[in-house]
Amino acid sequence: MSNEAQIELVGVDKHYGQFHALKDISLTIEKGAFVALVGPSGCGKSTLLRSLAGLESITGGTMKIAGEVMNGVPPRKRDVAMVFQSYALYPHMRVAENLTYSLRLKGTPKDQALKAAEDVARTTGLSQLLGRFPRQLSGGQRQRVAMGRAIIRHPKAFLFDEPLSNLDAALRVHMRKEIRALHDRLGATSVYVTHDQVEAMTMADHVVVMRDGVIEQQGRPLDLYDKPASRFVAGFIGSPAMNFVPATVSEDGQGIVLDLPGASRLSLGRSLEPGRNVSAGLRPEHLTVTQTQEAALRLPVGVVESTGSVTYISSDTDPEITVVVHGRSPLSAGDTMGLSIAPENIHLFDVESDRAI
Amino acid sequence: MDISQTAIADRRREANPISRFLASMRDGRGFDILLVAVPLAFLIALSGLPLVYNVVMSFQQVDMFSLGTFWRPWVGFDNYVAVFSQPETWPILRNTVVFVVASIAGQFLIGFALALFFTMDFPGAGYIRGLFLVSWVMPGLVVGAIFNWILAGDFGVLNYVLKSIGLISENIFWRSDIAFSLWAVIIANVWLGTAFNMILLAVGLASIPKDLYEAAALDGANAWQRFWTITLPMMRATIGAVVSLGLIFTLQQFDLFASITSGGPNNSSNVAQYWAWELSFRQYDFARGATISTVMILVVMIAATIYVRSTRHEVRG
Repeated sequence: MSNEAQIELVGVDKHYGQFHALKDISLTIEKGAFVALVGPSGCGKSTLLRSLAGLESITGGTMKIAGEVMNGVPPRKRDVAMVFQSYALYPHMRVAENLTYSLRLKGTPKDQALKAAEDVARTTGLSQLLGRFPRQLSGGQRQRVAMGRAIIRHPKAFLFDEPLSNLDAALRVHMRKEIRALHDRLGATSVYVTHDQVEAMTMADHVVVMRDGVIEQQGRPLDLYDKPASRFVAGFIGSPAMNFVPATVSEDGQGIVLDLPGASRLSLGRSLEPGRNVSAGLRPEHLTVTQTQEAALRLPVGVVESTGSVTYISSDTDPEITVVVHGRSPLSAGDTMGLSIAPENIHLFDVESDRAI
Repeated sequence: MDISQTAIADRRREANPISRFLASMRDGRGFDILLVAVPLAFLIALSGLPLVYNVVMSFQQVDMFSLGTFWRPWVGFDNYVAVFSQPETWPILRNTVVFVVASIAGQFLIGFALALFFTMDFPGAGYIRGLFLVSWVMPGLVVGAIFNWILAGDFGVLNYVLKSIGLISENIFWRSDIAFSLWAVIIANVWLGTAFNMILLAVGLASIPKDLYEAAALDGANAWQRFWTITLPMMRATIGAVVSLGLIFTLQQFDLFASITSGGPNNSSNVAQYWAWELSFRQYDFARGATISTVMILVVMIAATIYVRSTRHEVRG
């Protein structure tokens, strides 16, 4: 991977009438990178992707693809390929014609176009299906045609707009790997929009978390997990979601501690002025169930759900605390569980600004 | 009553044909059959029988004295031979073809252009498109009367416009000049049918998914290429339906001929459907009128077959 910027956004703004959809977005995507735009619906991630494609016009800022300013350049001259959520296959064309559509528009000779289609069909596993119409394909096969249609063009960037959301769970996991493998093989630059943080975390080199039209945080997937910049990112990344507990910083004999509701107390491995109200973030997988007497937290058990390999235990408290236990747990509703957590795994957020402390 | 008694009562009811009939009417196939039977009886009585009667009449000798009976002398294809040996037959059939082709072409092209225009969602598009429907709901005779004024030779507004933009130097007597009389009716018919074409085509356009155009744009297609490679192929079924319906409606067009030219002068604007009426109800030659109608039934049936087939082969999804 080189450090050359393939896509460069500086201060991009987008208004729909009164609605401010993208607010001062600055983002650099290196050549060969796989970047995921992730966020809840309405956060502007799709708008940003469609702006990159030229399907939406931006109202401010600069957008560069491969060094060229793209503001106002129509989609067909941007040399980017997009894979749509609906796949947007041409229903009146066979698979081969769908794949070669862009080549035929460019005036590529028929035999060359067909050869390119056969090559792409081989890499995407469509060789047997070139003569079919899209309506004769399964969801996964349509997805491959949509990918093949993008690959055949050797574009400057691939844009994916929630391409896996119409597939069933098993196929989604499979296609996740396949898309990533394809990206690596082609050495392409990819921008991938999804609302599924697991997809973003597993596929991307670089994750951009968006919320209400702004970039909340960006970085490598595990950096976002380890050092979320805000309560929003902390709650969005990781599954099941992080527990948030209101807490007060105080001091006991040994050092700085955190007072939690219910007279619980967690020791905090860093210094912070006592008396400050904070929100403590505890990841379900960082909490361990221990003997009640040595536990920092003692909570009544509410619901116990087991998938066999993992057990989710929710407390019968407000706010609810979820714990993930590997294997099975002898606990059941009505029991009291003791929990402990390593001090370095406690995340603290300011109550006012929601920023990490 | 316990369960076995209920079963016995049920069985007893099943044995009774009247209650069995009522039960099937309430929740069985009987109700389905009834729903189909009523419109079917209606269609047979009011469309099927007259159609058959008309076909039978074209093989009979019909005059004022035998008009009241069904059992008239059978003459085989004599009426057909007679009709096709009349000197005016071929010019009238030629007029019919010109009328149908020109009307459909005009209605379709203008209707498609308007439908495409209204896909650009500008303010007020909905209202203006609604206004276009006015032409479609107007009775043909009223449209004819309006076009009589527009097309008037001495003071008609069409001549005025054409002269003002320099297309013609002399007034055209649209309704009485044999070179223009048929076109006078075609112009009125195009106006009458355009809105219908526009609405059907607009529905077809609206059903093409937007993301196909976006995908095509990203694949490098300009507006013209998108029209030829996405819009037209996706509209194939709709276009087939619109043209077939246009053929049927155009062959039914009678009011405009009655109100604008009455087929004249000297049959120069006469077409098969108006001629059939003239023969039957002006000259009281019912057999020949029926003969021409039967020929037209064949043509319309071919069009209807094409229409049904084109809507069956919908290419979607």
